[in-house]
Amino acid sequence: MMQDLAKRSRSITSLRDFLELLGDAGQAITWSERVMPEPDVRNIAVAASRDANGAPAIVFDNIAGYPGKRTAVGVHGSWDNIALLLGRPKGTTIRELFFEIAGRWGDAAAQISIVPEGQAPVHECRIESGINLYDVLPVFRINEYDGGFYLGKASVASRDPEDPDNFGKQNVGIYRLQLQGPDSFTLMTIPSHDMGRQIMAAERTGLPLKIAVMLGNHPGLAVFAATPIGYEESEYSYASAMMGAPIRLTKSGNGIDILADSEIVIEAEMQLGERVLEGPFGEFPGSYSGVRKAPIFKVTAISHRKNPIFENIYIGRGWTEHDTLIGLHTSAPIYAQLRQNFPEVTAVNALYQHGLTGIISVKNRMAGFAKTVALRALSTPHGVMYLKNLIMVDADVDPFDLNQVMWALSTRTRADDIIVLLNMPAVPIDPSAVVPGKGHRLIIDATSYLPPDPVGEAHLVTPPTGPDIDELSKKIRAMQLGALQ
Amino acid sequence: MSKTVCPRCATGGALDDYQGKEGGKVVWTIHRCPTCCFSWRDSEPASAIGIGIRSADFAVDAANLDRYVKILQQ
Ligand SMILES: [Zn+2]
Repeated sequence: MMQDLAKRSRSITSLRDFLELLGDAGQAITWSERVMPEPDVRNIAVAASRDANGAPAIVFDNIAGYPGKRTAVGVHGSWDNIALLLGRPKGTTIRELFFEIAGRWGDAAAQISIVPEGQAPVHECRIESGINLYDVLPVFRINEYDGGFYLGKASVASRDPEDPDNFGKQNVGIYRLQLQGPDSFTLMTIPSHDMGRQIMAAERTGLPLKIAVMLGNHPGLAVFAATPIGYEESEYSYASAMMGAPIRLTKSGNGIDILADSEIVIEAEMQLGERVLEGPFGEFPGSYSGVRKAPIFKVTAISHRKNPIFENIYIGRGWTEHDTLIGLHTSAPIYAQLRQNFPEVTAVNALYQHGLTGIISVKNRMAGFAKTVALRALSTPHGVMYLKNLIMVDADVDPFDLNQVMWALSTRTRADDIIVLLNMPAVPIDPSAVVPGKGHRLIIDATSYLPPDPVGEAHLVTPPTGPDIDELSKKIRAMQLGALQ
Repeated sequence: MSKTVCPRCATGGALDDYQGKEGGKVVWTIHRCPTCCFSWRDSEPASAIGIGIRSADFAVDAANLDRYVKILQQ
């Protein structure tokens, strides 16, 4: 059973394959009742998101005004869907999924295969004139006060304008795109992101910046391409290695490596030096971004499969698909980076709002050690901007089980075990910021005391724990489900 | 110049970008404001697109577009 799941996971090449796999496992549904683009699609996506463990992907095929078109949401919208993507059964715990991802580093080599353009499914249909994005994309307003219709789950591929022949310097990342008329869209990024650097390089040198926007992709790409990996590593190679499976690439009409099996690819060129109003957009902290002037891209061609599925995401105030999509892969690099210096770190949970709150399990080497580890976490690449609140717990506390974390907070924390670091860098879209881009950090040490700490007289209960108990809880759940059938 | 008024900046002249059709009948129209770049579908709830009903927190002042920051400046 487990081996079959792993094998099937490795055979996924496209969104379609994954939706079929999800459907077979009861994790994808088709919504054929007629819906309005607004507010129905958003409402249904939000309602599904309430079940972070078990929500299905939803494919809408009867949207008013979009006859014959399909929109998918929630493809990565639950832990069960993430488990199936990783070749694990439904009901796999978040902790197990975390170690599944953390354990894959350096495990396998990338397998890239090249599909000739004429044979790539993505190029089945080609539009080079009379372009109207709305003809192809059954968009909906993601949050009520968004400034327009957004593509919230687009993987954007581009070549470095100053080194266009370098495969490794191609960038693939998820950026929010706002449609700006039938053949244009804006792209939001910051200077430190790869795309931000490429835009600034193109405008500095006057070199063209061509991109390919991939929609409805291999489900591994969205999970692994949003990763804080080095600039000169290819996201495709990385995603392939992490999936333990080949990635099929082809060329877009404008010469960029793209996934051969994506549903839709939009080819576009940046309008050098031009900016138009972008936003607001309901972002992952659950607040709207402001309105700013962003670079605009002009669409030069569209390729798509026959009867394409437009994949989008509901993102906004959590819990949403965005949290399950990026949560584990935000947590795992922090874990790996901490372990380089501190093997006492046993797990990292940075699931909440892209790590604005993180929980780290660590075995205290000496009194106060957890605080040292917390400070190191703040200097990891993700920690520098994102880790705002850190809760440190003992190694025997599962940071993914909030009941256990609350136990640690309730029983291990002394008020003088709290550190506040004032006026630190902060991610600009944190809605709690007094000045965007700057804020305070909070470290709560909820680990056990060690001498020379005054330890007190209490002795902790050590309940049975470990894989045997994990298996027993799964067995109880299975017996319960069996009894209900 | 069209008479369609933008619900966000209250300027006229909005463009028609697309019409959703079923059996030849127009079900809704997507408009775009060339002044503030707002796009909307005329079938959306009034709370999002109703002039005077939509939250004023999200209004854009068409007379003061210089206040919006340009990202990725050299
Ligand atoms: Zn306007």
